[in-house]
Amino acid sequence: MSTSTPKSKSNYVKPLITKLQGGMINKFGATPYYARKVRTNIDGVSIESLTKNFGSPLFVFSETHIRHTIRQAKEAFSTRYPNVTFAWSYKTNYLDAINAIFHQEGSIAEVVSEMEYDKARHLGVPGSDIIFNGPHKSIAALKKAAQEGAKIHIDHFDEIDDLEKVAEELDRKIPVAIRLSLDAGIHPQWSRFGFNLESGQAMDAARRITMGGHLQLIGLHCHIGTFVLEPDAYKTQIEKMIHFGYRLEETLDIHIDYFDIGGGLPSRSQLKDTYMPPDISVPAMDTYAEKISEGLNNALRPGDYPKLYIESGRALIDEAGYLITTNIASKRLPDGRKSYILDAGVNLLFTANWYKFNIETDRELAGLGEPSLLNGPLCMNIDIIDEGTMLPPMPRGTRVILSPVGAYNVTQWMQFIEYRPAVVLITEESKPLVIREGEDLSDLLHREHLPDHLKLNQPS
Amino acid sequence: MIFKKIESQHFKTLFYSYSEIFFLQSSLAGLLLAVITMININVGISGMVSVTAAYLFARFIGMSKSFLNSGFYTYNALLVGLSIGYLFALTPLSLFFIITAGVFSYVLSVMLEHLFSYYLRLPALSLPFVMISSIAYLASYSYSNLYVIGSYVPLDNPTLILPYWLEGFFMSLGAILFSPHVYTGILFSLVILAVSRIIFLLAVLGFYLGATLSGLMDGAMISAYLNINNFNFILIAIALGGVYLVPSPRSYVIAAIAVAIATVLLDAVQLFWSSHGIPAFTLPFNIITLSFLYVLKLVNFPLVAYAIRKSPEETLDDYISNLNRFDLVSPRLSLPFSGQWTVWQGFNGQWTHQGQWQHAYDFVIEKNGATHQNEGLHLEDYYAYKKPVLAPCAGKIIKIINTLPDNIPGTVDRQNNWGNLIIIKTELGSFVELSHFAHESILVKEGDSIEIGTRLGLCGNSGYSPQPHIHIQIQTSAHIGAATLPFVFQGYLDHQQFIALGLPPEKSHIEPLYAERSMEHKTAFILEQCFTYLAHDESGNTEEIILKVGMSPTSETYIGTPQGKLFFGRDKHSLYFYRLEGNDPWLALIFSALPRLPLLYRHSMSWQDCLPVAAGVRGWRRHWLNLLRAVNHRSGQLHYRAHWHHEDIIRGQLSTPAKNEEHTNIEVILHPQLGFERIRVGNRYLERQENAE
Repeated sequence: MSTSTPKSKSNYVKPLITKLQGGMINKFGATPYYARKVRTNIDGVSIESLTKNFGSPLFVFSETHIRHTIRQAKEAFSTRYPNVTFAWSYKTNYLDAINAIFHQEGSIAEVVSEMEYDKARHLGVPGSDIIFNGPHKSIAALKKAAQEGAKIHIDHFDEIDDLEKVAEELDRKIPVAIRLSLDAGIHPQWSRFGFNLESGQAMDAARRITMGGHLQLIGLHCHIGTFVLEPDAYKTQIEKMIHFGYRLEETLDIHIDYFDIGGGLPSRSQLKDTYMPPDISVPAMDTYAEKISEGLNNALRPGDYPKLYIESGRALIDEAGYLITTNIASKRLPDGRKSYILDAGVNLLFTANWYKFNIETDRELAGLGEPSLLNGPLCMNIDIIDEGTMLPPMPRGTRVILSPVGAYNVTQWMQFIEYRPAVVLITEESKPLVIREGEDLSDLLHREHLPDHLKLNQPS
Repeated sequence: MIFKKIESQHFKTLFYSYSEIFFLQSSLAGLLLAVITMININVGISGMVSVTAAYLFARFIGMSKSFLNSGFYTYNALLVGLSIGYLFALTPLSLFFIITAGVFSYVLSVMLEHLFSYYLRLPALSLPFVMISSIAYLASYSYSNLYVIGSYVPLDNPTLILPYWLEGFFMSLGAILFSPHVYTGILFSLVILAVSRIIFLLAVLGFYLGATLSGLMDGAMISAYLNINNFNFILIAIALGGVYLVPSPRSYVIAAIAVAIATVLLDAVQLFWSSHGIPAFTLPFNIITLSFLYVLKLVNFPLVAYAIRKSPEETLDDYISNLNRFDLVSPRLSLPFSGQWTVWQGFNGQWTHQGQWQHAYDFVIEKNGATHQNEGLHLEDYYAYKKPVLAPCAGKIIKIINTLPDNIPGTVDRQNNWGNLIIIKTELGSFVELSHFAHESILVKEGDSIEIGTRLGLCGNSGYSPQPHIHIQIQTSAHIGAATLPFVFQGYLDHQQFIALGLPPEKSHIEPLYAERSMEHKTAFILEQCFTYLAHDESGNTEEIILKVGMSPTSETYIGTPQGKLFFGRDKHSLYFYRLEGNDPWLALIFSALPRLPLLYRHSMSWQDCLPVAAGVRGWRRHWLNLLRAVNHRSGQLHYRAHWHHEDIIRGQLSTPAKNEEHTNIEVILHPQLGFERIRVGNRYLERQENAE
């Protein structure tokens, strides 16, 4: 596109006057000039060949990165506590290929709905290797999960009733866990999920389960929040959970086999309104592992090593994902800022709501940086990917690579006025493979039914 | 019903006394032997009276049934009875004499047995019989009255019908039960042959070796072969070749040497004893066997059988499978860390694990072949640095050094070889030493009690350590630098394979395992619990069987049916079956389907095991394999491998030894609450009918 522009005459660029400044005053040296980043390839596959073969926009995942990250995380935890299992959080990214990588690395599945449960089973995960969370589980879903030996985590009292009915119907005792909500010293406190610990509701739930006689409480689950930047919160959480477990043992003779501390570990992405770059503001995985193992060490009785499940999602996949987009046009806004229109916007980037993405271009750009907006292709005012970044003039056709985008985007993307693009996985041998094809019209149409009397162009 | 049961138990004990004389525990064989002794009714009845008297007296003084049942304490009384019956006909007077002698030999048996086992770690064998019978024979010289009414002419040996060398063997065999006739000898050998081929062969070998050697010394072969006292050679060969030593070529050599020596001893004893008018009885056998056994135990001869089963075949089967499956001698340690580490140096390592410090292990963390990132110039580059070190055993902290600095990578502290260290005294009295902790990182204090897995401190680079690593050893004393002792690691994962006990090779990536509570609950069998199964055999027939959890007098737990017992135990990481008693094919099926159950689930984790022949092979092939293994322990090994298919589902394969290896598929499904839902081996399976009661 841009290469077709005749060289004889350069494009007209409207003159711009900007105040000369020595860069933003900070001690990290991230001046607008040095902050410019160029990415010509992902894991050795050039951006050019990727877009040529698979189009733009394009989601790209790095298998090397995913495997490296999960191994690092496993090492961080397993070298500190001897009985840890990771459960891959499907909602973060449930493409089959991504799920399969995590399962190959030894993770079991963590699902929060019947749809996700079916997806895991379809992939070949046995029921016993699935943790079934979430506030909405139909009776049919509960029955299926119970029959297949899934680890069902109860969210509310009504679900206890439902599961007891299922147990009666199946004529067997169903092992279950309950989800706890508790004060781990952080804000906001997620209290709408599970049974509250401090108010005594959790103990009531355990009593209720014991009295019912159809369920067997074997696990405790808790998920304190998302993008939790305070490692100490997890320490508090696990200590409270273990103490509660021992209390159940003493009062109700319930033996807890496992503790599930949920997820919520942050990725190395910059939240909006944060000043520090993530390398500084986000604690290392080792720090979380150290705090959690400290909590375990403090609370567990000597010689007691119950199983610990970690449902980390975002921290394991976010940085392995890139979105390649193309600058399709630019314009000057009345307030003097430059606006670039990309072929992907908030329709594909749900996390744009709170992340300030890392912006890279496929080529060196000449010229001074100027305040610029990155807009998406939607006909809506809110379609903004970045509303204030310093970019030099960017010619049409420049590829803009946004990262990290691995978490939540390919599960929460919208089919709003645009087709959803292809997703490519770059293997450890640097081979790009399509793991989800780009959509076309048939994807929209194959569930639709047009009643006969509404068909157009019918011979009358 | 109950009355009948008790009765039969009483009889069993009596008959066990008969079979014990040939070192067998089989009531059926005992019954047959007893019947055969009745050929000389005097001998037969006297034996029966004597052993009954001993048994009744034992019950009268309250000896516990479990000790009595084996016949172990009453077979001397039986021998004494037989020996007196051989001398005197049955009269009220001789009966009285027999009863007194029987009770006395029981008393002496118990006393000698206790003294011998306590002070010498030896059995009393038939020494009580030799003593009492000698006393009885000596005393009887003055009992003129007994001679007047009680003497009789023993049955004459029928005229020779067999070659002398064959006749001699049968006569000697018969003489063991005071029935020195060819016919009884033939009958005895048939009974022995039916129960144990190994014993029979040993008897043959012992007899011919001993008799031939005596003949050569004497220069008179015929009289040597026909010497009744040759039974001493038979007994020595059996006792050393297959009973107190595990049947194996090395044991046979020892038995042969012992028989050779016995020829000299027998001649000496015969001469000396006969001058006092008493037969040699089994004195040569007792002297030779006891002295050999004492010395063999003293030098820790590896083939001494520590568990003597009902026949040499069973002892052998037990020994081979235990040797392959369990290290019963070395102390066990858990790996002193969490997660996956790599063996840097093992026992007899090429660098520092030499000489008296050869029994030690070093561990590092390795990724893609390197133990550090970047160039490894800084301690922080090393993956192992400041990773937690966990207690490898339970015990008490008795020594700590915590103040030495961490060396720069590549340099070592030659003054303080062992660096920052911890010495733990275990509950069993071993001294476990861990070295090279990071400066001031130790979290425990001297005097603290710890459990396996307790956090001790952080891995560092203090002492003679060029890179951060964990060093572990068991040593002879609490002193720093003491000589090391061998040990084994328990419960770890090596290349997806569960190792219950082992010494991981250098460079292997290993991870310690901890039992899971859920699996502990699923295997928490309680005494008297019953499980009902429907058993399906290969031809589609079904029968209901009830398995009951029980405990033996030796505090061993088992799953039992009326036909047998399958003993199980547990260690830190697994539930395992280790011995099958009786003849229940369904218990054998359980054993062969799941010799060991790891108490933890890891996706696709596999494990291997070696099965005793009794568990995995049925019919005549079992006897054949046992005989084969009596010559070569390595032949005919049954291999077992299994893996977690899913949580609660185990699949595996049993490979039976044959020219063309046969594989049998195995599947075990665990019950979600307790025990097993279904156990399948090939086409045969057990299906659970109801929950535990």
